[in-house]
Amino acid sequence: MSDAKIMMRRPTRLDKKFDLLREKTEQGTLKAASSNRALSKLASNKLAVLGLAFVTIMILASVFAPLVTQYDPQKVDLRMMLKPPSADHILGTDKIGRDVFARIIYGGRISILVGLGSALGAALIGVSIGAYTGYKGGWWDSTFLRISEVVMSFPQIILVLMLVTILGQSLMNLIIIFTLTGWGSLYRLTRAQMLSLREEEYVQALRAFGLNTFTICFKHILPNALGPIMVNITLSTAMFILQEAGLSFLGLGVPLNIPTWGNILNVAQDLRILQNYWWVWLPSAVTISLFVLAINFVGDGLRDTTDPTMQG
Amino acid sequence: MFVYFTRRLLYLIPMLLGISFLIYLGLELTPGDVISYLLPPEAIADLKPEELMAMREALGLNDPFIIRYFYWLGGILQGDFGYSLASGVPISQLVLDRIPATLELSVAALLFSTLFGVILGSISALKRGSLMDNSLTVFGMIGVSIPEFIFGLVALVVFALQLEWLPVGKRLMPGYDSYWDHMPHLVMPAMVLGLIMTAGVMRYTRSSMLDSLNKEFIRTARSKGVPEWRVNFIHGLRVALIPVVVLIGFRLPMLIGGTVIIEQVFQWPGVGDLFVNAVRGQNYPLVMMISFLSVTAVLFASFLIDLLTALLDPRIKLE
Repeated sequence: MSDAKIMMRRPTRLDKKFDLLREKTEQGTLKAASSNRALSKLASNKLAVLGLAFVTIMILASVFAPLVTQYDPQKVDLRMMLKPPSADHILGTDKIGRDVFARIIYGGRISILVGLGSALGAALIGVSIGAYTGYKGGWWDSTFLRISEVVMSFPQIILVLMLVTILGQSLMNLIIIFTLTGWGSLYRLTRAQMLSLREEEYVQALRAFGLNTFTICFKHILPNALGPIMVNITLSTAMFILQEAGLSFLGLGVPLNIPTWGNILNVAQDLRILQNYWWVWLPSAVTISLFVLAINFVGDGLRDTTDPTMQG
Repeated sequence: MFVYFTRRLLYLIPMLLGISFLIYLGLELTPGDVISYLLPPEAIADLKPEELMAMREALGLNDPFIIRYFYWLGGILQGDFGYSLASGVPISQLVLDRIPATLELSVAALLFSTLFGVILGSISALKRGSLMDNSLTVFGMIGVSIPEFIFGLVALVVFALQLEWLPVGKRLMPGYDSYWDHMPHLVMPAMVLGLIMTAGVMRYTRSSMLDSLNKEFIRTARSKGVPEWRVNFIHGLRVALIPVVVLIGFRLPMLIGGTVIIEQVFQWPGVGDLFVNAVRGQNYPLVMMISFLSVTAVLFASFLIDLLTALLDPRIKLE
């Protein structure tokens, strides 16, 4: 295409990028490409960086919660009921005088633990089954495919609540339940990756060398499928945090005496609190939304770096 | 077509068998005597212990697990879902009473999200790369990150409690029962439930529309001199809509899950409300049966959606 023709069409983002590159080359200020292309690509995605920063800050704040706030999230102070935000209590106090800010910071510990723990648990089950049966194929493969179809045809929240009734309500049970109900999508993803990767020539070579199935499957093929799996784990974490919040809002998630973001919102079922005491529930609502949004930004950024075909 | 239809229908049977087996396993694992929900409570109250034993024998409760499962399945197929532990009312009747409310809410939300999602998605695709497109993408991202009940709570505070435009919750005020009296109550829950799904439909319509606008038949239509709006909306959108219809099928589990929480926020007297109360009250048979019914509904709905897409798109191979 001649230059004149290029000028005629509307400049796209790519054109601007090349213009910038040309300018830099002419000035001689063009730096050599950094060593890790994926990392630098992630670093150039502003939303992903912003999201990563927010997630890191929230995790650090909840891990080092005693340093961030001097209040005990469980301490009842009946002289300080439903006080609006002030210098002492920056987000006010709740129905029985507990500091809302402290509850959000400490609540982050449990909420993030539930989200991340369940996502990692689901990944452990989904990825190991998906990788092995996807590579081997045959009878085991079709059995697990059927099982995952059965699990995934349930509306998620209904399956979760059903298991809550059977197993009972506790923090550990919730993580187990989320793991049991959430492994399906990671299993499907890993299996699909394995199905295409196992046809590659290097796999045939490894097989010809006589390596055993486990080594080929987990040591040689799986690392090549890790990109999309990481993305899925990130997005699953966000999904589990949302689910925990929803269940705890109903009073059916983490037991109510443990502060979590969802449990703080539980009081918002009371219309009086909802209307008159916004500081009791709104900060937690905003925290959940921002945290999940930040994780989603990171997940999308990761997806763009690991899988160029998904950009659109 | 007929072969495809029967094959999909036959495929449902093992799925439903597997699910019903899991549900029965759950029923057996939960505490409490099975007989307490197989018979109406007044009938049990009248029985002497030895008569109860005889009854257990007659109902097959002393048989091996697998046999008991088939007895139970036989009951289900004849519409006998057992009795609620809390009230002793047949479960089928409890659920049937609540279905119209949930159906009303979900259909309204589905219509709302499909309409807005398709419109916003096509705008996004046609004005690709514009400010409008980018801000819609960001809004979509925000939309999937905020839990639906928080949307609900904020809507309650703003529109019902502060502005007092809409009623706070419930489906009907006492004394009003004409169909139109539902409408003010329906608006908020349906909008909130629909809003979450709008983001997904929008993203999907956008990529599907972009895909179809790059096809040869669009170029053909343009070169024939068809007006631009006709090219976009008659030729382009029609093809782009097929995957969107499929998406509605995928959204059904989400829709049913969404009603569970939204019905609590707005005190909407639907199946989701019944379900949550059953979970809170440890009413095992009711929890299990509602779960079973909702999965069955999802499976049948996705079967219908499959048929619909096969009818809409002649390119789908009907082997």
